[in-house]
Amino acid sequence: MKSWIPPLALLALAVALHFALPYNLAFLTRILIMAVLVLSLDLVLGFAGIATLGQAAFYGAGAYAAGLFAIHAWADPIAGLLVAGVAGAALAFISGLIVLRAHGLTLIMLTIAVAAICHEVANKARDLTGGADGLRGIRMEPVLGLFEFDFVGQTGFWYALAVLATVFAFLTLLTRAPFGLSLRGIHESPERMAAIGTSVYWRRVAAYTIGGAIAGIAGALSAQVTQLVSLESFSFTLSAEALIMLILGGTGRLYGAVLGTLVFMFVHHWAAANDPFNWLFVIGALVLAVVFFLPRGLVAVPTALKRLGGRDAGT
Amino acid sequence: MTRAIHAALAAVIATALPAAAGADTIKVGVVAPFSGPFAIYGKQYQEAVETYVAQHGTTAGEHEIEFIYKDVGGPNPDQSRSLAQELLIRDQVDYLAGFTFTPNALAVAPLIEQSQTPTVIFNAATSSINKESEFYLRTSYTLWQVSAPLAEWAYDQGMRTAATTVTDYGPGIDAENAFKAAFEARGGEVVDSIRMPLSTTDFTPFIQSVRDAAPDAVFTFLPGGPPTFTYTKTYNENGLAEAGIKFLGTAETEEVNLQGLGDAAIGLTTAYHYSGAHDSDENRAFQAKLTELFPDAIANWASVGAYDGTHLIYQMVAAAGSDGPAAVEAAKTMEWESPRGPVKMDPDARTLIQNVYIREVARDEDTGKLVNRETGVIATVGDLGWDK
Amino acid sequence: MTLFLNILVDGVAYGMILFMISVGLSVTMGLMRVVNLAHGGFALLGGTFAHWFAADLGLPFWPALALAIAATVALSVPLERVIYRRIYGFTDLQQVLATIGLTFLMIASVNLWQGSSLLSVPLPEGLKASVDLGFRTLPVHRLLVIAGGLAVVLGLWLLLERTRFGIRLRAAVDNRGAASAHGIDTDRIFMAAFALGAGLAAFGGVLGAEILPIDAYYPLRYMVLFLIVVAVGGMGSIAGSFLAAIGLGLLETAARYLAPDFATITFFALVIALLALRPNGLIVRTS
Repeated sequence: MKSWIPPLALLALAVALHFALPYNLAFLTRILIMAVLVLSLDLVLGFAGIATLGQAAFYGAGAYAAGLFAIHAWADPIAGLLVAGVAGAALAFISGLIVLRAHGLTLIMLTIAVAAICHEVANKARDLTGGADGLRGIRMEPVLGLFEFDFVGQTGFWYALAVLATVFAFLTLLTRAPFGLSLRGIHESPERMAAIGTSVYWRRVAAYTIGGAIAGIAGALSAQVTQLVSLESFSFTLSAEALIMLILGGTGRLYGAVLGTLVFMFVHHWAAANDPFNWLFVIGALVLAVVFFLPRGLVAVPTALKRLGGRDAGT
Repeated sequence: MTRAIHAALAAVIATALPAAAGADTIKVGVVAPFSGPFAIYGKQYQEAVETYVAQHGTTAGEHEIEFIYKDVGGPNPDQSRSLAQELLIRDQVDYLAGFTFTPNALAVAPLIEQSQTPTVIFNAATSSINKESEFYLRTSYTLWQVSAPLAEWAYDQGMRTAATTVTDYGPGIDAENAFKAAFEARGGEVVDSIRMPLSTTDFTPFIQSVRDAAPDAVFTFLPGGPPTFTYTKTYNENGLAEAGIKFLGTAETEEVNLQGLGDAAIGLTTAYHYSGAHDSDENRAFQAKLTELFPDAIANWASVGAYDGTHLIYQMVAAAGSDGPAAVEAAKTMEWESPRGPVKMDPDARTLIQNVYIREVARDEDTGKLVNRETGVIATVGDLGWDK
Repeated sequence: MTLFLNILVDGVAYGMILFMISVGLSVTMGLMRVVNLAHGGFALLGGTFAHWFAADLGLPFWPALALAIAATVALSVPLERVIYRRIYGFTDLQQVLATIGLTFLMIASVNLWQGSSLLSVPLPEGLKASVDLGFRTLPVHRLLVIAGGLAVVLGLWLLLERTRFGIRLRAAVDNRGAASAHGIDTDRIFMAAFALGAGLAAFGGVLGAEILPIDAYYPLRYMVLFLIVVAVGGMGSIAGSFLAAIGLGLLETAARYLAPDFATITFFALVIALLALRPNGLIVRTS
């Protein structure tokens, strides 16, 4: 399969969904924003091999940074994205210096602790963040000075799609550049990369920082589209759900991240609409089924089918 | 369906809207948690709404009323806004209702401003929500509304010193401020104000600190469920009651979790706007219908908030149909006899002016169950937090 | 001085609960190398069964506790056989995903069976009373928790150091291949260790229900707390889990007495500091 086909197919799918579900644009926009967050996690986890359950720390930092910037400084959406990216990157860099010295369970616990502290700080700084009531009063200017955020969510949708596509393209280039290749090398064999003179630690810090910036941008999108930021943007649940979506889709492949997000969000939407009380059964079973039958994620479905078909043809 | 949405939709999507379902049907979208740890709220709202519908039929004035329920999962403003958008655009609802958490309610403010949709809040208790849009109406209560009268009552009962222990987040801090301001205004002294972490369920350290400070009373605010359970237990087990430190609370002894608290709850004093044991025909009729339809249901503040909210929506529909601004205008002067007692809409704050009762937990001799026995009306108050 | 004693008594009681629930997790993580996020689910199952036996069926507290542990263990065995056995070979991430999926299923099952409200376990009169310690009163229940925790430590120590099972278990942990070669049935050892962990979680869940109350969302609510104890203590180390649980219990309790406003931040900041200084935990198993 040519490498440009999956992303192009996803783009076509997004546009198709827009016309298929014109009344659900807000929901589709949430999927797009979530996909940006899951992509950031894919870079950190899928490519650099850093197992984290605290990606929400940077999402939240970006959301609050964008919200506060819009309220107190400038309500331009693009400028907000950049500020949020810097905020996410800064937090990821500083926490990464400590966190990335650890491995395995310890690393996971440290990332959780960082997000928990951010949550508590935002709760404490009630005068600035609104605490548990949420940060309100975000009123965005038109995107590029041209497109007003509208009631139906048209602008929000295309804006989020454009950001997602940009992030996707950026990550595609990054992962094919020498930096991305060295990340893969570190993931597969840290010892060998260290032996050939690569600073494993600093590469990981760099990947973590870039991942933080992208997660921050995702948070900013959510703040700008919803016009409200809540403490939940730092929540453990968000980190965990992003992780589930990523592994569901398949790690280490960018379109896997997008696919996983899409499937999880749609299943959740459908299950929660039909039987909200018991939707955890559906998600739990889905997750288990993927781990047991598609250990490499949904991106492996075509290969699995092909293999199945081949075997059938052979018998 | 308002003109604003039509215009917006027509401008961008060139497709025709599906014809409004039956010209005379008014739709109400209910946004509430039906899944996750807070699923009980959504369930209670729905049961209360259906109880009201069973009592009063599906028509208000000349209009049919239809309710559509959406699951928001928990405190999640992104989801809340996206559901509201879907309800307004696809389902073309004329009224919104529900909203358990403040951020979820606040997230729809820009939408309802634009679409001019009356939005009835069944719970979310932060005073300032209603400042964000003229279209918010609230049928629950605010923390100032119950905490401040409680402080004054405590002072009048001879308590001169108090400690406050509240959960460290928005509502808890509101409750602390309200209690403190009212208690000190009377001349009482708050000797210690402890803010307890949100995730805590082991309250021994805080309660032991209160005991060592030995005030006349301890005022508390906790989120429902597990924290309330361990707090009241710890209060008893660490001997605060015997030491003469009176428990003062608000929603802590609410009916759904009350039986689970067990004997530890007996004697706890709270100030609140609704007790399941309220002695009135309206309350008895409400509870009889509720348990007839849903044998396991227990009426509490969430059910009565939704029940009165449904009443308010029926009255607005009867008065103004789908005309949002006219409906809100009509609502401002409404008053009725609720299961909680007489209520009246405050035209400025658009929150109910209602009685606040002082209650004490006791075991009912007939049923053997724990109840919040009303021992007196403290005050008839509006939203005291509106100007803060 | 009173303050110090208060912190000591309350911190130890809290720490003992953390220990009882986490130690099983530490053993399974150290032994089977499985990141078992569903571990809190066994505490939930224990608590739910105890609630059912005691509150719904009207059994007294002690038989309800025993039956609840037995029921949880009985459930854990087929779970280990059918699901966990296959999870052992997965990568860390797949283990995380699989056990989160299991956690969801456990929560959904309890939710369906008993609803989402609080599942309290009525205590016998004797445990509800309070004893006078001189400087304050303490609920008898807390004394039971402390005694229960000490009994678990002692029992585990005897089991691992003094029994054939313990020797085989330690051999299997240190080198599975070599243990199998020496004729030790590692499969059975793993199953027994897993059931033991589940039983301990159920025991801790029921005893601790006065401090960490049981409801359907219990496993998610306390997942991080239990994992932190294991990470700080060092995987697979019983002494480490004990030290970490008591230490963290004391630390969090001290923070709640001295600086309640900043208790959460202090707790997580100290956890970060501890883990940064000792990334493999307080006690590293030598193997």
